[in-house]
Amino acid sequence: MVALAIVLSVVVLLLGVLVAGLLRSHADILKALHDLGVGVGEPGEPGEPHHHQHQTGAGQSNTQSPGASGPTRAPLTMGPPLPGERSSTSAPTIAGVTPTGDALAVTVGGDHLTLLAFLSSGCSTCAAFWKAFQKPDQLGLPAHTRLVVVTKGPDMEIPGEVASQAATGLTVVMSTDAWGDYEVPGSPFFVLVDGSTGRRIGEGVANHFHQVVELVRRAEADTQAFRVGSASRAYARGLDGPERELDNDRELMAAGIMPGDPSLYPSSLDDVYGRRGLDDQPPISRAG
Amino acid sequence: MTVAVLRAHGIAAPLPDGFEGRIFIRPAIGREVPYPVANFATFALPADIGDFGGGAVNLMGNSDIFASLFEYGPESLGKPLFARQGMPRSLTSSDFRPYVLRRGLGGQSGTQWFFTEAGRPFTLYVVLGSHAQRSMLVPRVNNLIGTLMVSPNSSSAQQPASRR
Repeated sequence: MVALAIVLSVVVLLLGVLVAGLLRSHADILKALHDLGVGVGEPGEPGEPHHHQHQTGAGQSNTQSPGASGPTRAPLTMGPPLPGERSSTSAPTIAGVTPTGDALAVTVGGDHLTLLAFLSSGCSTCAAFWKAFQKPDQLGLPAHTRLVVVTKGPDMEIPGEVASQAATGLTVVMSTDAWGDYEVPGSPFFVLVDGSTGRRIGEGVANHFHQVVELVRRAEADTQAFRVGSASRAYARGLDGPERELDNDRELMAAGIMPGDPSLYPSSLDDVYGRRGLDDQPPISRAG
Repeated sequence: MTVAVLRAHGIAAPLPDGFEGRIFIRPAIGREVPYPVANFATFALPADIGDFGGGAVNLMGNSDIFASLFEYGPESLGKPLFARQGMPRSLTSSDFRPYVLRRGLGGQSGTQWFFTEAGRPFTLYVVLGSHAQRSMLVPRVNNLIGTLMVSPNSSSAQQPASRR
């Protein structure tokens, strides 16, 4: 009986030590979260360090009233801002080197579309695109569309690997800067640039190149339609701003399209382009 | 404004807005010793074109420009053809002639200069898409050639391309 009591005492003692350790660990985690500014506890107390300089929603209060049980706002750090002359749709010149080590700069301006294919030599998904680019005449891209492959620079890619996958005659630029300029999240990634405006008009990912081709065809049609409309109507009359909007409203009403018309509120690309027989969804979203 | 700067083989070219380009040395054929060539254009340069724009000038629009900076071997140094010291930095409309073209395409206009820059013999060849628009195009040419830089030693290791 005495022996059993001793054993139980030892077990209780061990459990006590274990609970104390867990409590200490939990306290350390809470302290670390608090130091990171997650807001556990009372982050609004005077003297507390602040780590919220780069949070989204600038100008909004990040503090909660004591005891508030709402969701905790986690700090979201933002990347460095783009240079003043650039935006999320600007399309700067791509400067880098070729896989053979020569210097090369490609501008995306001009009266054509430029399809930038951001690929890597090692990614498995990219392999299908490298293979497709071996036969450029079978890609099916619309005329006046320039295909340019952009890999990261020699600091992050092996030029020999890129050279072994690049077809003869294919324009390949190795430029890590370009991946930053075009805010490429990973490979494969495609960016479509309208040279006449120098803006990105579409970007995104795709698994098969025919998906990209479909997007380029649509973008080309959109671009031409926009040019015709702009040149023949409000643009030709030198209208801009509210006058141009008013002119557009008159054109729509003359065509029988009144405010609230369902055609003004497409819910899918099929509403815009008509129903297609393909199952594939467009791979690339509008850049804005 | 960020400017793309091409830099390779002892040639540096800050590219004015709307220009693209490449600086390269062709693979040697037989016992030939190739030297650096720089091509610049305001239109999309095909991947494989001639040193002086073969395969490219036929793609030019009226408002386009093509320029080639072509280096010769050291055996050309001191020859009368390369007596001029320094690259022309400011051309005029009268420097361009419709018949100064390696490939005579109707409406185009060209100019060619031989010179020695930084101890290296070069020729500069420029084609305008339209002779009639030369007064508008020549200032753009001058923006390009006015900032081209050539260093004395073409074999010096340099960063091929950068931006400033």
